[in-house]
Amino acid sequence: MSAFLDARTLPRETILSPDLAIIGGGPAGISLALAMADSGQNVLLLEAGALAFEAGAQKLYQGSESGVAYTALDGGRLRFLGGSTNHWGGWCRPLDKIDFDSRDGVPHSGWPFARSEIEPYFARAQSLVEAGPWIYDGADHSVSDSGSLLRLGPGGVYTSWFQFSKTQGGILPTHFGERYQNDLKRAPHITPLLNANVTGIKLSGDASHVDHLDIVTLSGNRLTVKPRYTVLAAGAIENARLLLASNDVMAAGVGNGNDVVGRFFADHPIPRNVATLVLFDGRVAPFYSNFLTLPNGAVLRAVLSPREEFLRAHGVAGSLSTVENEIKLDPLAIAAVETTAGALGVDASGAKAFSLGCGMELAPDPERRVTLGQERDALGLPQPNLHMTITDDDFSHFRQTLAELGRQLLAAKSGMIHLSYSQRHDWLAAMDWGNHHLGTTRMSADPRQGVVDAASKVHGVANLYVAGGSVFPTYGSSNPTLNLVALTLRLADRLKKVMA
Amino acid sequence: MRRRNVLAGLGALIAAAAGGVAWKFHFFGKHYPPTPYDDLLNQIADREPAIVFGQAAGKSMPRAGALAAQLRRDGRTLSVRAAMEPGEAQISEVAGWVVPQSVALYAALAAQA
Repeated sequence: MSAFLDARTLPRETILSPDLAIIGGGPAGISLALAMADSGQNVLLLEAGALAFEAGAQKLYQGSESGVAYTALDGGRLRFLGGSTNHWGGWCRPLDKIDFDSRDGVPHSGWPFARSEIEPYFARAQSLVEAGPWIYDGADHSVSDSGSLLRLGPGGVYTSWFQFSKTQGGILPTHFGERYQNDLKRAPHITPLLNANVTGIKLSGDASHVDHLDIVTLSGNRLTVKPRYTVLAAGAIENARLLLASNDVMAAGVGNGNDVVGRFFADHPIPRNVATLVLFDGRVAPFYSNFLTLPNGAVLRAVLSPREEFLRAHGVAGSLSTVENEIKLDPLAIAAVETTAGALGVDASGAKAFSLGCGMELAPDPERRVTLGQERDALGLPQPNLHMTITDDDFSHFRQTLAELGRQLLAAKSGMIHLSYSQRHDWLAAMDWGNHHLGTTRMSADPRQGVVDAASKVHGVANLYVAGGSVFPTYGSSNPTLNLVALTLRLADRLKKVMA
Repeated sequence: MRRRNVLAGLGALIAAAAGGVAWKFHFFGKHYPPTPYDDLLNQIADREPAIVFGQAAGKSMPRAGALAAQLRRDGRTLSVRAAMEPGEAQISEVAGWVVPQSVALYAALAAQA
């Protein structure tokens, strides 16, 4: 058993020489460490924070922003063991096949492999996120006792399903740090090192491989790690920041010979109350707006998603819509409902209305990026600057999907829809974010288009890999955790082979 | 048969007949002055909400005469069109509401008539 070490208490200038150094103790870092536990390799898990929230460590996440208003950089992530799983919502859904494809009309879209490449890892990932039996879109057949699916005419939108992370005792969701702390301690070849802030990824003189990592603590201690292999798993903002700031050998930063590091930052915008859903009979199954727990323990919720054919035909990005709260209709809305239902020959005397929430995928944008700011943090590292963008096309594409949902409701004579926003300022006024940081070290077989290759290895650096959402080139509307864990397990298999 | 029962029965019959006549000729419903478009407007189940909704269509709609000509040219009734149009992607947006195209047109006509 390896107890947790604290970088603050190790002798100054200690040099650690693990086989594998993992930078970051979030879901990717912890999943990777656990997956490597049986490899016989000595794994050093470098967590920048402690076992619980500490304000001083969290402050190291501060940064500046430009462009569209976005969550404060120290507000959307957490710097202690477990990382952002300490405040995630537990939403899980595998990426769809189309999310991996290069799509006409969506420049920079697509992964260097198909979904089939990570499918073998979904079962173990599902187990790690504790989302119960694998059901997802098979739920259509499991929930008939709990209500009916929304009646939709043929078309581009359908009911799809999310599952939820649920740790033992039914607590939602799984916090990786708390949940896997003892597993990390029990694993003989894993050494978790807390309060270990990596401030530099130091390359060899010829930039061919990582020579060592600089570790600094807030108390002023300094350590060196000389790993055979390194995996950067610190989240999309920190991954980019560390690569960019490690610029002593490569002037533009590690892996940034083609100026791609930090670009294509992405998230799921979740503007509120994007539409009003009216159901003429007033009935919506509870699993659209609340958790449904099946007898086998799986926790599900239904959402409305665009079909692959619709995405392709209209060149729109992924999205989901959620049924939220029942709302009252104003006189114009009542007139719209009565007129439409009357024309359709439907009784709408019991109609009810519900607000719709959403999650949108943004089209890849190289200008949406993390760079190094002017300010430095308490450890001397440049703070990140995030330039956030969202285009009118991003909004109009999602609006197109909502209108399709409305068309299908009318075709089924089951309801209708009101689109809340048509102007950019209205969308932005309602804006919130999923805080799913993605894309800054995107994956591509072409070094000019991506930071890592299909194996998650940084182009041009022999022993440096990246894990986590920062490698996602496109990402649909599925929440990233389940998928990044699956991708990390694939990386573990790869590392076991190359490190043997 | 007692006289009281006969009278009660007759009274009920008269009341039912009067109700039927009132229903048939819209004695208790909203009356609208005749318009050149009544053949179209009479297809709307309830003109009151249609007028309110039609006003929201605003200036983007053609004037009443042109609207009526367009609707008559189509030849199908409102209910037939409204049922078919969503399947044919004949959809309009009125003040954010996604509706069958014919619903928007008839509502606009009701508002202008």
